[in-house]
Parts: sequence; C-alpha cells; structure tokens
Amino acid sequence: MASSETQPRFGQSVKGLLSDKVTSCSGDVIALTRQVLKGSRSQELLSQAARNMVIQEDAILHSEDSLRKMSIITTHLQYQQEAIQKNVEHSKYLQDQLKHLMK
Amino acid sequence: MAASGDEAAAMESISKASVPPTALNLTAEPEHKREAATNDATENQKAKRPSNNNDGGVETAEEATEPAEPDINELCRDMFDKMSVFLQGELTATCEDYKLLENMNKLTSLKYMEMKDISINISRNLQDLNQKYASLQPYLDQINQIEEQVTALEQAAYKLDTYSKKLEAKYRLLEPFARARL
Repeated sequence: MASSETQPRFGQSVKGLLSDKVTSCSGDVIALTRQVLKGSRSQELLSQAARNMVIQEDAILHSEDSLRKMSIITTHLQYQQEAIQKNVEHSKYLQDQLKHLMK
Repeated sequence: MAASGDEAAAMESISKASVPPTALNLTAEPEHKREAATNDATENQKAKRPSNNNDGGVETAEEATEPAEPDINELCRDMFDKMSVFLQGELTATCEDYKLLENMNKLTSLKYMEMKDISINISRNLQDLNQKYASLQPYLDQINQIEEQVTALEQAAYKLDTYSKKLEAKYRLLEPFARARL
C-alpha cells in the first residue's frame, strides 16, 4: 500500500506526495488514539459509575435524615428519663405511707 | 534511454519515500544526504539540477526538487504542537471523568463520616439511657407494688363503705324501737 502511494503519479511532485503522506500519518495517529480510547470503554464505565452514584445519593440523604431524627428522639428520651428520675424519688415515701395505712 | 531514465527516476522516488536505502539506489544516497543538508541549511536554496551519471552502463538521473520553504520548520513545529494539543484534549476528557468521580467519592466519604459520628453519639446515648433505665427498674417495681397496694386499699374502702351503709340502714330500722324503750 505504501509503495503504491509513493509511486510518482503523473503530474504530482514529491512535495505533494509528502504532504499527502503527512496528512495520512496524522489521520492514522488520530484514529489510533480514538480507537484506543474507544476500546478501553473508559467513557462508558465512568459515566455508568457517575450515574449509579447519583442514584445512591437520594438513599444517602434519606439515611442522614433518619439518623438526625434518631439523635433528636434520643435527646427527648434523655429528658424524659431525667423527669422520671426526679419523680421516682418520691415513691419511697408513698410506699411507707401506704404500708402505714394498710396496717 | 528515456525508459531507463524513467525507471531510474521511479526507483529514486521510491528510495526517497522508504526509510532504508537499498543496494540498487547507492547512487541516490549521497544525493539524499546532500538534500537533507540543504534543507537544514536555509541559506542554501538552490534548486538541484538533474544530472546524469553513467555507472557501468546504468544511467541514473536525479529528480529536480523545489527549494525548501524558509518557514517549513515553523510549520512542522506548529503541526506537531497542534497535534499534541488535540491528543491532550482527547485524553483530558477521560481524566476529567476520573476527577469527577474522585470528587463525588470524596464528598460521599465526608457524608458517611458525619453519619458515623452521629451514629456513634446515638449509640453512646442509648447505652447510657439503657443503664439509667436499668437503675430505675427497682423504682419501677416499687411503683407497681404501690399500684397493687392502692388497688387493694380501694377495694377495702369500697367494702368499708358498703358495711357502713348497711350499718346505717340497720340503725335506722332499730332506732324507733330504742326510743320507745327509753
């Protein structure tokens, strides 16, 4: 193929042949680069990964909301426990009074 | 003569296009190097005239070449620069995809770290709460006992109320007889 292209054509100078050769070589390099990138399938895989990440983001945000709500509920439970602790201390006196009454 | 000259010219062009100089084109080699020297030296721009050499009955001729352009080096440099820019751009797209994924992963990991801290706090608080509720258990049992005792007291109160009402009814029945005796 190369020898047929480099055969001097009627009316074509070496300069023209050289420019054609350079153009074809540059086109080959570009095609090779594109083929290498296409064959590696990196674009497809990376875009698929980004898509999956975007899908997961909703679930992650929901989980974060749930955890924050759990922390608020835990705080409320602590307040309730403190209130119970205060009121439970009176139960001893109540029990003594009841025992007295039941006698 | 002309046919052999054309064949020699064809062979010359082939030898100039291909890389290794063959044995057939030994006469062209010094001329090829001379051409390269003239191309490198921009001052020497004289067109080469075809010359005929007789070597053992074989006639060779050199093709007339145009003088090299003065800015051919610049053009070549420009071409290769643009080629490199293009190739870099082709590869940059994939790099940018990787960078995007890297940033997304970093943000997700930060979010998960925050969630980890929150969940650690929640677990610690719940453990404390469990311990406090465990310590409250005797009191809760006492409250249950109090409730049972209060229920028993309530039953006793109802019984007492019923007995007192019966007693009152009997007293009312017997009161006129007691007054009559008096």
